[in-house]
Amino acid sequence: MISSYTFGIYPRSEELIEATRKNTENLASLFQSETDGYISAQKNANLGFVSDPLLKWDDIYRPFSNLESVNLSSLNRIYEMNTFYRILSFDGPDFINGGNNVQSNLDSSLPKNKTVAIPEPFTFAERHTSKAFKTKEEFTINLAKMLRAEIDSLVESGFEIIQLLAPSIAYNKEVDFGVVSDALKVMTDGLKAKTILHTYFGDVSAKIESLLELPVSGLGFDITTTPASSIEKHNFSDKILTVGITNSFNTAIEKPQECINQVDEINAKTKPKESYVSNNFDLEYIPKEFAMDKISVLGEIARGAKDV
Amino acid sequence: MSKLFPTQEIGSLKKPADMLKKVKDPNVSDEEKTKIRNDAAILNIKTLEDIGLDIVYDGEVRRVEMYEEPVRYVDGFEFAGRVRSWDNKYYNKARVVGPVAFKQNFHAEEFNFVKENSNRELKVPITGAYTLADWSYDEHYKSKDELVLALAKNVVRPLVKDLVDLGAKIIQIDEPAATTHPAEMDIFRESINESVKGIDAKFVVHACFSGNDYKALAPQMPEIKAQQYTLEFANRDTWNEGLDDDSRKGFQVLKLFKEHGFEGEIGIGVSDVHVNEIESPELIRDRILYAAKALGDPTKIYVNPDCGLRTRTREVSFDKIKSIVKGAELARKAAE
Repeated sequence: MISSYTFGIYPRSEELIEATRKNTENLASLFQSETDGYISAQKNANLGFVSDPLLKWDDIYRPFSNLESVNLSSLNRIYEMNTFYRILSFDGPDFINGGNNVQSNLDSSLPKNKTVAIPEPFTFAERHTSKAFKTKEEFTINLAKMLRAEIDSLVESGFEIIQLLAPSIAYNKEVDFGVVSDALKVMTDGLKAKTILHTYFGDVSAKIESLLELPVSGLGFDITTTPASSIEKHNFSDKILTVGITNSFNTAIEKPQECINQVDEINAKTKPKESYVSNNFDLEYIPKEFAMDKISVLGEIARGAKDV
Repeated sequence: MSKLFPTQEIGSLKKPADMLKKVKDPNVSDEEKTKIRNDAAILNIKTLEDIGLDIVYDGEVRRVEMYEEPVRYVDGFEFAGRVRSWDNKYYNKARVVGPVAFKQNFHAEEFNFVKENSNRELKVPITGAYTLADWSYDEHYKSKDELVLALAKNVVRPLVKDLVDLGAKIIQIDEPAATTHPAEMDIFRESINESVKGIDAKFVVHACFSGNDYKALAPQMPEIKAQQYTLEFANRDTWNEGLDDDSRKGFQVLKLFKEHGFEGEIGIGVSDVHVNEIESPELIRDRILYAAKALGDPTKIYVNPDCGLRTRTREVSFDKIKSIVKGAELARKAAE
């Protein structure tokens, strides 16, 4: 048995979608009951760590729009998906004082073994704009400072694993790993929690060496875009390895035994310090009934995989 | 068309609110609902004709939306549920669970009605195979390429053939997903070519702008069997009048099309469908004149909004189209 968790935004049910569109009287109670249901589903699947389904979040960056001098701007496509997020415009430097925008937007009923995902600074800077900083590097480092305040608040309240969502590192052909590393140092130096950097929406086969050098506890891979054979060429004895094994971009439900065999094979070849399985990216790209099935299957895969 | 700078709509208009209310009312009979839809189609057709568009259709007033409408009538699909577009906006997404196959011409009634009620040239919008595949979950085919080609050969081609048999002369294949995956342009090209194979009509491809300024599309354009592309330009152009490069930033890519040897027509988007502000006829004139010069042949320029106008109010949409028609008139005078 290995450990497991999910990350990112979960799908709303048809009933909740309708309620959000019509702003019905029972909207708040629906949000809560659906959040409770997802937390129960993760517990019932025996996932190692439980996450908030983030049902109220319109996109992964939206809580940061509450920060000083940050304004909502135009819609932008989420990479090659048919889903859009709102660009944030960081119009002054005051946002760095940040604090607990993530923590205050999470459900208070999460169990002790809880995890949460936040954007990684390079990706954050690459997907948003700033009038306050002259260079992208400066913007990235200052976002890292803001995110460090968020992480400290999360760790203080008991989060043991912090997922860092880094799709731009996977999607972009050119990545300045110096900037990525400097920003991650700001976020992880002396931190008393595990940090796992998740790459998805692109093949990182050629970047794995650079990723292994980054100051994070572990790396997560979407094996629908980065072939397992590429990951297997590397040694993970100093890093946690999370295999993004369930596919949030297809309704087909994974066959547990096939996945267990695949995870065992990856782990046997990479010898990771610790091993986890997760979804490959946000479950919100499939409707709720399929997401529920995938949570259950993820637990089954984790229980069936060999301990490292 | 012999006229210089012909004007056309892209496809969808916001549906009249009273029509939507009545067609959703369970107490309204099916016969009455048909009449309500027909009246709404006539209203759109006549309004577009009265404004002065040269090529018209019915604003897709009978269709649910561009993805869900065709998928309802194609074998092999099952709706899975709604998936977020943005914020609280969702779309119904389907799974491919078996071989895809054409069942019936789901636009036949609509096309026949428009043909009977307009004497203008008609351009029939249909959703392309690549977009249908890209916006679906595939649980059946081995690869996306296989699904795209199956849709092109077994669904879109029979639909196009049937529409042409009914008298359609111009078919616009809507492919908003095409430019969102720059690495998949080869299969996109094949999907269009397979969709129109052996069919005699004028084919227009509509592709939305998606970040790389059509740079991935440009090399494919001469190889795709389409006579015209209707593309977005206004949404990244400046609002300054003028024929200089700085003012016409949004239209620079036309030069790239020419460099890649494209010799067909371009339906230039001269009105941004994401904002309510109405472009002045003078601004539209300058966009047309600049585009004509950049492409090198004014007879190859058609004029339209960037995309469908369904996200704007009907008032804003019709004001934008009026300005397009006036701008084209000014451009014709200037070009004489």
